[in-house]
Amino acid sequence: MSYYFCIVGTRDQPLFELEFGTSKQGGDGVARFSQEARHMNPFIVHSSLDFVDELQWTNNQMYLKRIDQFASSHISTFLTPTSTRFMLLHLPHPPNTAPTSQPMPNSFPPFTPYTSVPPSTSTASRGTSSSSSTSIPNNPTSPQTEEAIRQFFGEVFEVWLKAIMNPFASTESKIGSPVFKQRVVAAGRKYL
Amino acid sequence: MTPLEHENGNPGGISQRPQPELALRSSREFTSSDLPNNTASNSSSQIRTKISLSSSESRLPLIAGPSLIYKSRSPSNLRSQSHERSSSSSRGSSSTTSAYDSNETHRQIIVRSFAPRVAVFASSDTEDFVKQKGFKDGLYSLLRPYGEHLHGKVVIRDSMGGSRGWDDFGIRIINSQALQTNSTHRADGEMVDRDARNLVNGSQRVSEHTRSSHSNETVKSIDRVLDRYLRTTDAASEGQGKAYVDLERTSYGSRSGLSPLYPVYLRKLLSSASIAPYETFLHPVACLIAVSSHHPAPIEALRQLYSNTGHESQKVPAWMGMEYLRYYVLIHDEENDDITKSTALFDLMKRHFGLHCHLLRLRRSQCVLTDDDSTRVPSCEWLSAEEEIEKLSMGDDADDVELSEKYILESDSTAIKNLLREMVTQSIVPFMESRVMTWNDQVASRRRGIGGRFISLSKRWTGFGTAKSTTLGLAGVSNPSGSNYDYQQGFYPPETPESTMRQLGDYAFMLRDWKLASSTYDFLRADFGHDKAWGHHAAANEMAAITSLLVPHAFSSKSRSELLDQMLENAAYSYLTRCSMPFNVIRCLTIAIELLKNRGPVAADDAARWGGKLLEFGVLTLSAQALTTERVAECYISRTGPDFAAAGTRKRQAALWTVLASDSWLRLDRPDQARVRLREASALYGIDNQDSAGLPFPSMQGLWQRLNSALRDAGGDDYAALIDTSVAQPDFQLDTAEEKEQLNAFIRPSILSSTDAEGFTPQDAGHIHPTSLDDSQLQDDGFE
Repeated sequence: MSYYFCIVGTRDQPLFELEFGTSKQGGDGVARFSQEARHMNPFIVHSSLDFVDELQWTNNQMYLKRIDQFASSHISTFLTPTSTRFMLLHLPHPPNTAPTSQPMPNSFPPFTPYTSVPPSTSTASRGTSSSSSTSIPNNPTSPQTEEAIRQFFGEVFEVWLKAIMNPFASTESKIGSPVFKQRVVAAGRKYL
Repeated sequence: MTPLEHENGNPGGISQRPQPELALRSSREFTSSDLPNNTASNSSSQIRTKISLSSSESRLPLIAGPSLIYKSRSPSNLRSQSHERSSSSSRGSSSTTSAYDSNETHRQIIVRSFAPRVAVFASSDTEDFVKQKGFKDGLYSLLRPYGEHLHGKVVIRDSMGGSRGWDDFGIRIINSQALQTNSTHRADGEMVDRDARNLVNGSQRVSEHTRSSHSNETVKSIDRVLDRYLRTTDAASEGQGKAYVDLERTSYGSRSGLSPLYPVYLRKLLSSASIAPYETFLHPVACLIAVSSHHPAPIEALRQLYSNTGHESQKVPAWMGMEYLRYYVLIHDEENDDITKSTALFDLMKRHFGLHCHLLRLRRSQCVLTDDDSTRVPSCEWLSAEEEIEKLSMGDDADDVELSEKYILESDSTAIKNLLREMVTQSIVPFMESRVMTWNDQVASRRRGIGGRFISLSKRWTGFGTAKSTTLGLAGVSNPSGSNYDYQQGFYPPETPESTMRQLGDYAFMLRDWKLASSTYDFLRADFGHDKAWGHHAAANEMAAITSLLVPHAFSSKSRSELLDQMLENAAYSYLTRCSMPFNVIRCLTIAIELLKNRGPVAADDAARWGGKLLEFGVLTLSAQALTTERVAECYISRTGPDFAAAGTRKRQAALWTVLASDSWLRLDRPDQARVRLREASALYGIDNQDSAGLPFPSMQGLWQRLNSALRDAGGDDYAALIDTSVAQPDFQLDTAEEKEQLNAFIRPSILSSTDAEGFTPQDAGHIHPTSLDDSQLQDDGFE
């Protein structure tokens, strides 16, 4: 699984961006997005803000869980009380290998499905696939993944609170602190 | 429903119709944009206090938030745009020009596409007669264009006893040969023979295989038609050739250049299905048996033709029901034959064959444009993709005008119109109504009642021991579970209740009695699932989903979306994985998207979601992908208005899908369309005005600049000029000079910044040039 994590301010401006890979199952923690996917990621995350804006009025949790899916990428969200949004895009693929696209005659990026999620089964038998593999790197819809992401968000939220308590920082400005980044990376390594 | 819209037919008088409505709408836009704009307030209300705020208070920041962010267009700008829209609408010919109406158009296309078929069996002397009139393909080609548009209303009684008149009812007239083979026009004659044999006698596997290959072929031929149209529009825009009629009439989109191709694509998609056992829309409802007054023994000829329409002739596949209506036509030659003799003969016919007879009086001579009271034969709207290709390629070889436009005498055309109208209103519709009623009484209600459920249950239980373990491949065991499904050949024989039910559903659908159709399909989809008749299962699910969308207000939104999702998922999965028929998947989901979108903004979300799924299936060709992507964007754009601030705007989704559509067009090497889409996206992202801060995410620059530079390369040296010309099109106009300046200004930096994007071609558009984004920086960010 590769991750693209982004903290988005209230005016939809990104305050912090980070790519990392899974550290579970012997993963080395390096993101393996293809060039194409890397360029698409901010677009996808930005577009799912629409759903966050809608969900925030019906859901009183801060962790909104998995809110959107675009092709093989899934987006989970955490909403802080100041409407700052933590967006995590996760693309499932086996650890330490780049996602390989399935050879299909009529499939063009960015809709190319990746090997871990065959398109045909993903529609009809989502329930069965979650029972077959529950590991975090393989199955973005499993409760285990949901829980891991919740923990990750919780930790990042704590770090983020400390960062914005800085009297010279505002909730709408970019977070440039190297310590903050280190902490987020550590949280990612710990839970994802 | 709005009255029938003539897309291809005579536009007389209709061009004026949409105007008042449009004027209203634009005036509404005036007021909404002239409002003091809720963007002014509220930078302080960003803080989200979940606990303390009451819900009425909390609405305010929500409404203000997005519009603050997306203050993309100034009010004056908006006003001028809406003005343009209304003015362009008055220019556009017959088709509607507002975005909302285009939905209704698509719904009508879908409804009209499921029309009863009438097969023509004509004697050889009749065919000779028609050929002399200049119709080389025989009688059916003469009748066909008139069948698609019956003049006047057709009144249909539904199962509840209510009547309703339909303006747009039509029938499709097909050649009798089309019944014998899967597809009418195949280049390889031997291949056709083999297919026919497979379908009649062959094993299931073989027929399944041919079916899937047909399905693939259909997808490909639709693609070829699209490609063709794309090229002709190119030529037309350069002034080198003339655009095809359909394209002109369907107006260059409503709102800032919706692709004019989409209605064409939808039509082709709906009319290209091949005849199959699992749905009976393409099975004939009636057949027209024609003989001319020249024939020495007309009654015997009619009897001979009649026997051809049955099973004994071996000309019709075994899975097709034979209980269709026979209609007898005597063609009288006005120039060479005696009318009294013909009338006598006609009386004889009526005595022999009953009431379903008609005397058609035609003149033998061929008609040309210069003749007195000659009239043009309307062109066929519902050609399948393969026929369309054939027609277009013929058009290339021969003289354009002669082929595309045929003329017959006014009196002949009136006679044909009267024949068809009489046949439909007096014979076909009553016949279908009575069939629906009989089947509903005898088969469906028995199945629906308690007893019927019990029977089907007990049948399943008695077969329990053996049924579950037997597989499809076991030859010889025709009914392993006691069901009527013929596993060996893969269909239900036409006499079985399942097959009759399916026909009932289809007849009800064609008569537009959607409630009855919906309930019938609902039963069938469970039955077919139990019998593991996957093709039938998928088709029944597809139709159940479509009918449930056509029934007005049948569901609350929650149950609808759940049930509908399930049905569509079943249909898509069975079609794709179990039967590998990609064409049907595309058709099913495209119809679902259109109908969902038609149901309003909440369902438009679902429509977009299914659009995304359809794209992920990987069954679409490039051009179909571009059109579908555009459609998804359209679904989201329909939810971007100011009314949706509270319900959840989809502006950002719309922007994403517009960018994707632009990318798809670029991949197709269609820079003009790509440019229009990109411009639209820049409006949605709010970077088309001066005080914008650029793209919301700085990391979006990569893809954005790649698109821009690719468009610049595609445009060549006169890129700036190209912008001007495309801008001058009626549907997309930048009104002020300074706006053009802005546009150039925002494109120019990309030209400077991507100096090394030279090797870029649209083919490898998927590949992104590494220098366009600070990848290295991103990598560094990733891990220390």
